[in-house]
Amino acid sequence: MNKMSAGLLGLSLLMCIGGCGIRNQNTVSNEQKSLNIAYQYGLAYTPAIVAKEKGLIEEAYKEATGKEVSVTWIQMNSGADINTGIASGDLNVGFMGAAPAITGVVKDVGYKVFTNLSGQEHSLMTNEDDVRSLKDLVGSSHQIALVNIGSIQHIILAKALSESGLDPHALDSNIVAMKHPDGMAALETGNIACHLTSSPYTYMERSSGSFYELDEVSKAWSADDSFIVGVAATSLYEEDPELYKALCDGIRTAMEYMDTHMGEVAEMTCELDGNTKEDELKYLESGSYTAETNSLFELARFMSDAGFIDTMPDSYEDLVFDNVLGD
Amino acid sequence: MRKKEKKGFWIQIVFIALMLVVWETAARLRLFGPRSEIIFPPLEAIGRAFVLNFAKGYGGVSLWRYIGNSMKLLGEGLLIGIILALILSGACMVSVSFRRIYSLVIAVMDLLPGVAMLPVVIIIFGISPGVIVFLVVHSVLWPMSRNVLDGFLAVPRIYVEAGKNIGLRGISLLLGVYLPASVTYVISGLKVGWARAWRGLISAEMIFGIASCPGIGLYINQMRVNLNNAEMYATLLVIIIIGLIVQYGILVPIENRTVKKWGMSR
Repeated sequence: MNKMSAGLLGLSLLMCIGGCGIRNQNTVSNEQKSLNIAYQYGLAYTPAIVAKEKGLIEEAYKEATGKEVSVTWIQMNSGADINTGIASGDLNVGFMGAAPAITGVVKDVGYKVFTNLSGQEHSLMTNEDDVRSLKDLVGSSHQIALVNIGSIQHIILAKALSESGLDPHALDSNIVAMKHPDGMAALETGNIACHLTSSPYTYMERSSGSFYELDEVSKAWSADDSFIVGVAATSLYEEDPELYKALCDGIRTAMEYMDTHMGEVAEMTCELDGNTKEDELKYLESGSYTAETNSLFELARFMSDAGFIDTMPDSYEDLVFDNVLGD
Repeated sequence: MRKKEKKGFWIQIVFIALMLVVWETAARLRLFGPRSEIIFPPLEAIGRAFVLNFAKGYGGVSLWRYIGNSMKLLGEGLLIGIILALILSGACMVSVSFRRIYSLVIAVMDLLPGVAMLPVVIIIFGISPGVIVFLVVHSVLWPMSRNVLDGFLAVPRIYVEAGKNIGLRGISLLLGVYLPASVTYVISGLKVGWARAWRGLISAEMIFGIASCPGIGLYINQMRVNLNNAEMYATLLVIIIIGLIVQYGILVPIENRTVKKWGMSR
């Protein structure tokens, strides 16, 4: 009886795992095409939010083919989760930080960058009077809050250290992984010495006037450089070029819409981001929203040199699909 | 080993072997999408990663250091949680008013996930490993208190009266009558508390990673971010092994030498 129970349990587990696989393989086989897109929370994802709210990808696809496409938008918490979703075939498209996207390409998750999404300002603020440069932090016990170890913010910190002539990993043991709002609260209450964050928290901390900014970080990676990028599964690019083109067109139209209707976009997203319309508009105007990447390959080279990734892509073309402009 | 126990042991071994076969089959058939090998690696890759975790680690830091930090924080949290649970549950037997208040506190606090309290805990304790210790205490204190209190309340009245007749009062009554009579509940509370504390520790470390005091949860997070999924699964295996060592190496022998030996439990 016991052996039979164990056998049944094993069999049901096998069937369950098999079922997952079968589900994955059926994702885009129906009459009506479907597209699963993952995005994350924050101002930097605004073009994706605009495309979602206005149905721009669906519109571009219908205009090109006369057919409907069902687009499902899924909000996720990290680039690592999106990488897993694309590798499993459950997601076709994802928006994430440039650093996890580079890691995903190098690890052969099965995607490439199909667009740049945004560039934002980053800052390293301190509440300590004796800290005025990165050199003052090296060897100290001052803690630096940033969103995650291995995140784009961590890479930017390492790059700023490297450009200051220091070891890029010199502050690794000073890092505390905290979400942006928690990091800002900890900086304000004095629980941590420094906070490395991105827009809009950068502006909130600057406007408080209580902190000193170590400008090596904002110089190392500016708002013109690629911060958030869109990645698409190679299977989508190779097997369904019409849908891939509609995706690129939809995001580009969203960026053009932002250029001409920034006030309206601020009204659309201010509630999601928890800002007033005026603040949202100010934050949006300070970001850069273009489809062209900037310094993406330079970032990949730095990540390889500093040991964040094991292998270096041979060229910019290894990171992006052939329709993507930039460097 | 008795014949019945031997049979049970072999059934467990067969079950584990079956699970490994299911895993390997799923990995080889690439059931999880076009890049199945990345998110669902075969056993050989996990085995290799298991060795590499200890030999090489991440950024030159071996997994041993992560385990050491986690176990230190866990030990501190467990000790504080167990002592507090015994003291506070004991106080409940001294004062009825305190028991009513503490029962309410247990009912409320046991519902709150530790990680949800993280922002408040950081404001109170600052950024330090103390935050993790607090979350471990939070994980162990309430279920342990609930069990110990239930045990104290289940002690037959006649035992208490007998203790009082031989002159036991207050702490001596608690240590001489209540505690020995409710050992089954205390050990059951220990088992639940340990499991909750272990899970709470890993969750907290995954969300709140202090690089100067890196724990196993942070290691898992680093592996996830870098798409080193074989290393991540190998670390989950380490978590299971540590859990089994504590379960069968510490808790079961305690149970065998106390409640089972005394005939209080089968």
